[in-house]
Amino acid sequence: MMRMVRRTLVAGAAVLLAAGAAQAQVKELRIGYQPSPIQDASIAMFESWGAKNGVKITKVPNSYGVYVEKMTASLTSNSDQYDVIWHNDDWGQTWAHLLEPTDDVAANKFADKWSMAPVVFANAQGQNTVVPMGQTFSVFFYRSDLVKPEEVPKTLAELVETSKKLQAANKVKFGYVGGMSMNHSWFSWFWSMWANNCDVLAPPYERDNKKLAANGWKSMLTEPCMKETVEYWWDAINTHKISPRGMPAYDRNEANAVFMSGDAAFTVADSLWWGTFNDPAKSKIAGKVAATRFPLGPNRAKPFAWDDIWGWAIPKSIAPERKKLAKEMLAAMMVDEEGQTKLWKATGAPPPNTTFWPKIAAADPFMKLLKESVLDSPYKVRGAYYFANWPAVHKAFNDTVTKAVTGKREDIAKVLAEGAPSVSKAAQ
Amino acid sequence: MAVARRPMFGEQQRFMLFLIAPAALLLLLFQVLPIAIGANASFRDWALYNPKKVWVGLAHYEAVITDPAFLEVVLPNTFLFMVISVLGALVVGLGLALLLNRPFRGQKIVQTVLMVPLMVAPVIAAIMMRWMFNDQFGIVNAVLEGLGMEGQPWLVQRWTAFGVILLTDIWLWTPWFTLLLLAGLQSLPREPFEAAEIDGTSTWRVFSHLTLPMLQPVIVVCVVIRAIDAFRTFDIVWTLTGGGPGRSTELFSLYAYVLAFLNLDLGRGSAAAIVGGLIILVVGIVMYRLVDRVTKS
Amino acid sequence: MAMVRQPLLFARVPPVGRRLLFGLALSVICFLFAFPVLWLILTSLRPESGVYYVHRGTDFTLASFAEVLHEERLVQAFVNSALISTLATVFSLLVTVSSGYMLSRFQGPASRTWFGTIYVFRCVPYISWVLPLYFVAQSWGIYDTYIGLLLPHIAVHICFFSWLMKGFFDGIDPSMEHAALIDGCTRWGAFIRVALPSAIPAIAALAVLCWLFTWNEFLFALILTGNKVPMITVVMAQFVTEMGLRWNLMAATAVMALVPAFLLALFGQKYVIRGLRL
Repeated sequence: MMRMVRRTLVAGAAVLLAAGAAQAQVKELRIGYQPSPIQDASIAMFESWGAKNGVKITKVPNSYGVYVEKMTASLTSNSDQYDVIWHNDDWGQTWAHLLEPTDDVAANKFADKWSMAPVVFANAQGQNTVVPMGQTFSVFFYRSDLVKPEEVPKTLAELVETSKKLQAANKVKFGYVGGMSMNHSWFSWFWSMWANNCDVLAPPYERDNKKLAANGWKSMLTEPCMKETVEYWWDAINTHKISPRGMPAYDRNEANAVFMSGDAAFTVADSLWWGTFNDPAKSKIAGKVAATRFPLGPNRAKPFAWDDIWGWAIPKSIAPERKKLAKEMLAAMMVDEEGQTKLWKATGAPPPNTTFWPKIAAADPFMKLLKESVLDSPYKVRGAYYFANWPAVHKAFNDTVTKAVTGKREDIAKVLAEGAPSVSKAAQ
Repeated sequence: MAVARRPMFGEQQRFMLFLIAPAALLLLLFQVLPIAIGANASFRDWALYNPKKVWVGLAHYEAVITDPAFLEVVLPNTFLFMVISVLGALVVGLGLALLLNRPFRGQKIVQTVLMVPLMVAPVIAAIMMRWMFNDQFGIVNAVLEGLGMEGQPWLVQRWTAFGVILLTDIWLWTPWFTLLLLAGLQSLPREPFEAAEIDGTSTWRVFSHLTLPMLQPVIVVCVVIRAIDAFRTFDIVWTLTGGGPGRSTELFSLYAYVLAFLNLDLGRGSAAAIVGGLIILVVGIVMYRLVDRVTKS
Repeated sequence: MAMVRQPLLFARVPPVGRRLLFGLALSVICFLFAFPVLWLILTSLRPESGVYYVHRGTDFTLASFAEVLHEERLVQAFVNSALISTLATVFSLLVTVSSGYMLSRFQGPASRTWFGTIYVFRCVPYISWVLPLYFVAQSWGIYDTYIGLLLPHIAVHICFFSWLMKGFFDGIDPSMEHAALIDGCTRWGAFIRVALPSAIPAIAALAVLCWLFTWNEFLFALILTGNKVPMITVVMAQFVTEMGLRWNLMAATAVMALVPAFLLALFGQKYVIRGLRL
């Protein structure tokens, strides 16, 4: 590794010396991304900057299925394929040592502090390695034609009651639907667990790896709060029948399909889905959707909000003049008010520059809601963990709770206890 | 006769070498070399995001073969899948081949329809199957409920999920068996069948005493090649269940994939893949011996 | 190609009823067999709000196709896929015909070693070498190039096809080649002018299957291409995003990709069945 870095540095220096004049000649930036409305809107800002500055923006789309694998391989082999790449809090620490520090991008001072925290994106020297693209988090959606704002469930127990009432009145087939299978845990397991003062690893909501390690990467699967969470979903599916029986295998596509067909009253999904839910071409419930805070479990009294970002990063191994140009482009994107307003309108994701938020919120009630209940919330939760083994921990966790919720109710505690060591082991 | 008396040895070897050289070269560059890199990684601390490449000996192998999930869930699942998938496709394929091996009107259409699974990308087919077996919007439950039966949450119960995977796999591979067996049937000599008809031998006896034994070489080759492939089945299982619910439908290739691609641990993932490769190698040799014996007898 | 008279399955049913039963059974089998693809086609014709609940609602539209056709890289991807599939088919067959011939005609250590190699590498799972393959392609500077896609797609078939080709040549009597050798033909002459023509049906059959395989291949294409050489499967895979699946677009693209495959199967099937004799 070190040898490779050194070789690249030498090669980079050689390029510099040989082509001193070439410095000014970088006329192209290559963007490694994954097509989706928010990234498309962000790249549109790059393109308008490029048009003004005579830089060609080359878009290199990647498939989500192999994005992290391929990009990681590309980063470690110093392949010089991309100048700017899509970055996400989930792999913030996995890549931190492979990315160019972005502390010198002055416009990052406009970014949201919480979601740019060093625990997520800083490298070993404490330098930040990301420039934000937009805020991405989920919210609790409900059918505004079925439930009045004051009737929206405030607790998990009320979620069951309200759902049953709606189902009994034949207004809707199911109460709640949300993704539950691996890599879709957020849309049922995670939010309901956080709502109950519970988490994957103990202590809850802790994301400092040192503290987690000091605690022996202890899993919370054996805690009463987790048993309650699993039992809650078991009952929701089997006893109260407010959720479909197939739900433990659902991914977000299936859950959103059921919600958008009008067969469920409540769901949790990324705020970015706001636009899709309300688009009559895509959804049968357009105009009948509203969002609010998450219902809470018995162990938690204060509301909570989960808030992360997607961002852009620069590979460490590219030539210095490319890094410089890439930073100029990202800095310009951070202050592009027109572009960021478009990004908000196209996606429902709050844009990266916090100073634009009040203006957007004044004009758009959905942004007002997100600002009040999420962005300005003092009780924030991070959506992932930030160590390299997190995917393994996530899978061990999901496998265990899925096994528990698809088994017998009386076996739940036993299954959770059996699975707990696998979670701790995966973390180490 | 001059040709026969020429010193053949050197020339023959050169000829053999030329025959395999292009294939061997491509194999070396694009299969042997990457596999060697993977094998090298399996002995090292080689995380994809942080390739330290420190030698760790057999540590990854030890971790894989002592993992209870690998031994108690993954391997039994993989073998079960292999046996049922191969047998299922063989039985259905043989049945269809027998059906097609006679002239009737519309035979060409039927043959084309039976090749349909070969035309669509397996990943797309698997997504389609997953939606078809969804408990809410899937057509399977819609039909069952239309017939007054109870729909099932197919993918959250271990054995129904396993069944959906098998069904998809058998569907995808039946055309292979049908085509190979049909070709085999059509090349069988006619005399024994004509003799049997004159003798008035029963349908079943003709099948079990004539058709089947004469097809056996074809069948066994199909089975060996297909069994090796079935053992490494990945994409449809990953798409349909991801190994779930829990890890109850996890197959060996998913196990290796999760290690290498999800956990980004190239070392451990490669070790798992090599362990699986060695297992099917041995199983395959046993089956190949069977091929040899059958074709020689 | 004489049809063998097969034992009749419904011998005790009277002839008319038998024919009816046979036709009915065939129709049911065909319907079930084609169903997933029929359902995919139906899906692609539904508006985006109905692509999951395909059976709920009767409104159909070509909107998904129209949207996919706006994808600038689609045409290029079709061309690339067709080109790579065709070239991969031609070259895989070229190299495996000779390799299979060698396996079939020669016994001895060289032949056994080669067969052993093929067998061993057939057993190694894909997933253990696609990532290293990415490193290899990159270090040789052939990542995201035609050649970098083509060569691995040829290599992946070598083991399987050599094995099948061996089987085909085993079924062809070598005495003709011996006679040709005695008549003064070179070994190459005997191979190319005598053995090869008798293997043409088998080669045609494998060609059809090889083309379909490459056309539908996902993992290699995903790992080995960026944006310069998009394949049709890569375009499909890009409808999978972190936000979820654009299933209507995926289905529409898949249906379009089905057309060439269907035509090939339709016109190629007679070669397949004639040729696939082990």
